[in-house]
Amino acid sequence: MMWPFASPHSGWLVLYLLTFAVHIVLVSYVLAGTTYALIQALRKKQDPIAERARDLLPFMLGLGITAGVAPLLFIQLLYQQPFYTANLLLGPRWGAVVPALIVGFYALYLAKATQTLRIRRLALGVGVVCFSFVAWSWTEIHLLMQDQPAWREMYAAGDRMYAQTGVLPRLLLWLGAMMTLFATLAAWWAAAPERRRLAVIALAGRAVSALAVVLLVMGDATVISAAHGWLYLMIAAVAIEVAGWVWIRLAPDGAGLTLVTAASTAALLAGVVVREAPRLATIEPPRAAALEASGFPVFALTAVLGIALIVWIVRSIRDRAVPPS
Amino acid sequence: MDSPVPYYPVNEFGPLMKGLVIGGVGIFHVFLAQFAIGGGMLLYYFERLGQRGVPDARTFVDSTFKVLVLVSFVVGALSGVAMWFTTIQVGARTIGLMIDEFHWLWATEWVWFGIEISAGYAFYRFGPTLDHKARRRLLAIYAIASWMSLFWINGILAWQLTPGRWLEGGGMWAGFFNPSFWPSLLFRTAVATTLAALVACIVINTMDLPRERKAALIRIASRFAVPMAVMPLLGMWFVAVIPADSRQWLMGGSMPMTMFVGVAAAASLLIGAYVVVGLVLKRLYINGATATLLLALAFGATAAGEFVREGARKPYTVRGVLYSTSITPAEVAALRIDGATKHDPYPLRDQARYPTPQLVHGAKVHRTLCDACHTLHGANAVVELTRTWTDDQLRLNISKLQRTKAFMPPFAGNAADVEAVVQLLRWEAAGTPARWPVSDDPATLAQIKTWLDEVGTSAAGEP
Ligand code: HEC
Ligand code: HEM
Repeated sequence: MMWPFASPHSGWLVLYLLTFAVHIVLVSYVLAGTTYALIQALRKKQDPIAERARDLLPFMLGLGITAGVAPLLFIQLLYQQPFYTANLLLGPRWGAVVPALIVGFYALYLAKATQTLRIRRLALGVGVVCFSFVAWSWTEIHLLMQDQPAWREMYAAGDRMYAQTGVLPRLLLWLGAMMTLFATLAAWWAAAPERRRLAVIALAGRAVSALAVVLLVMGDATVISAAHGWLYLMIAAVAIEVAGWVWIRLAPDGAGLTLVTAASTAALLAGVVVREAPRLATIEPPRAAALEASGFPVFALTAVLGIALIVWIVRSIRDRAVPPS
Repeated sequence: MDSPVPYYPVNEFGPLMKGLVIGGVGIFHVFLAQFAIGGGMLLYYFERLGQRGVPDARTFVDSTFKVLVLVSFVVGALSGVAMWFTTIQVGARTIGLMIDEFHWLWATEWVWFGIEISAGYAFYRFGPTLDHKARRRLLAIYAIASWMSLFWINGILAWQLTPGRWLEGGGMWAGFFNPSFWPSLLFRTAVATTLAALVACIVINTMDLPRERKAALIRIASRFAVPMAVMPLLGMWFVAVIPADSRQWLMGGSMPMTMFVGVAAAASLLIGAYVVVGLVLKRLYINGATATLLLALAFGATAAGEFVREGARKPYTVRGVLYSTSITPAEVAALRIDGATKHDPYPLRDQARYPTPQLVHGAKVHRTLCDACHTLHGANAVVELTRTWTDDQLRLNISKLQRTKAFMPPFAGNAADVEAVVQLLRWEAAGTPARWPVSDDPATLAQIKTWLDEVGTSAAGEP
């Protein structure tokens, strides 16, 4: 099997990577969409992209959270001890993620329901703060769980923050990617002139990520050679995607969006493998109980049924209803 | 870390004992999630009645009740994530074990949750524009999916208390369909429908309808609280299948536990009696205030019930498999030789506080072996529990921990560990003086060792 899918963990690893990618797409829409709506509210602009975003955001957050639970499950099979340790080290500070999400969730509802511009700005602002905090927390825990030498010191000092230099550039990388992913999703619902604007956002997002990569490389980040194949695939996909956005900018009605979507999906999938590469070295030997656990057929059947039901739900809505404006 | 026992960094939550932390988050979560389940069923029922021409039923379905259900299942989901994080905080090894054993069932539950959120949101958003059939189907899917989430998670949680034939190698399914699976599933289902009925009564009271028409709706809604009447039976069934020692604590062996059982039983009985006699038989009108009061009672019952569920497992988090201290029964013997803290890589956060290495050692032993259930000075404070004891009494009772109280695990350390804890407790009781003698009399340690050997390494309930 192709690297890194040749270990006894591969089943979990594949599911982890796929569900994590879905999670990232959805929360990208949430964080970048809230930010976009906030900026437009501050500029007092009437903007269909922002309106649609405000309308969809609570639902997207619900989906994003639900999608996050799946990688949360698999990460506990792949990296149980480091993940739990990082959780415990961050302690109550880590627990703050949940209240932040609850506050953010209600803020999105408020932003959607209110007619008052000031309240809308405030609500969206609160949302941006909450979701940025959550994104930062995940980046922090992701790095902390890999930094075993730091655990003991951090515990002894009672520190609740992991202020390692890599956290901020890494977060910046994600923020850029989130802008691009938001633009990709939003473009599917957007009319031609709006797509032009989204192309600019997407390209700006890639520029932000590129800047972050420069910062990370300067801070001596490397990609292990086993992952180079995936790295080149990702770079190629991003190059095609960027060309696609330029095309959309010039001809928003063309097939550019299909191209961009395909390329950014490829870039995302290759990217999550590259992201995993440094951590794979610390992967735990699978525990016997976990390897022997039964129940997979039930899960697989339920998953098929679930997909069928969700498709049916979407179709029956499309056939029978006009969305309230 | 090359330790046979995985050590995690322990967070001390001060006087707020861990059980209280997890209990608090748990109650919030269970209450919301169960309401969302019952709410789904109730919505489906009202929708059917409305489509058959029962007046105002459809108005109710499209009222704020729908919003409450939606909000509670999103917040229910989030508090579920919070539960997960809290469980990691209080017992990382326990949740790890559960994930290892049941991850495919957890993944199954997750799929049902995905279906639930899709159907629920679709109904919330597009419901008003859909035809009858589509509305009914969406609500049916929502109700079934949310109950299925309960179905799966319930088996995993029940397994912690009664692993049943799983312990004899019966496999995952034997662990899932364990002795307390059905009573607790039915019990929780009954709670879910009752919560929905009570919230519905509150919402109906706020609707802009003449009193008789509200009364008619309330009579329909209160049918959902009727399962409350069988709660005592389900409770008895549950108590009958749990391990004998847990049962004894519930039935008087441990005062706090017995009190919680009493609160849960009394609150459920009150609600059940009110519903059956008042609403169903005498067809009384229930106003918003009364419904709110009953709901508060139900909250109390949920809270007490969760404490009982958490408490009844002691000294285990997974019966027979893992102690509350995150040590397995099989590991105790080795720790009796090596000591409890030999492999623990984490220093104390407040090391400077202690005047001698023995006290530092004692604090570490306490962190590893006692902190899961005790604090020094706050809730269930060991220093206070033992203030009046003599030194030897303390030594004996800690060495024979599982005989001191059956809901404590056997002491998983050596004689030096016992003595270090004893010194720590004495030093704390003396008001943490700046000087403290070291206690290393070989005769004392030999006596402790004899006690440890006498009592053995099995839990109190076992041979
Ligand atoms: C599984 C949870 C648990 C663990 C672990 C645990 N205890 Fe306890 N312990 C309890 C409970 C519950 C009580 C009862 C408190 C009460 O009756 O109010 C108790 C009571 C006690 C008492 C008072 C007994 C009496 O007869 O009054 C002492 C002393 C004590 N524990 C010491 C310890 C020490 C020392 C440790 C660590 C080596 C420890 N316990 C570990 C749960 C635990
Ligand atoms: C708006 C809310 C959220 C945002 C913006 C967000 C953002 C992110 C980001 C940026 C990462 C990547 C971290 C990194 O690689 O540096 C991440 C990872 C992850 N997130 Fe989220 N997230 C959100 C909510 C959630 C929730 C609610 C859950 C769980 C239920 C979750 C589960 C995960 C998991 C399991 C990972 C992988 C961590 C790892 O592999 O180390 N996320 N999230």
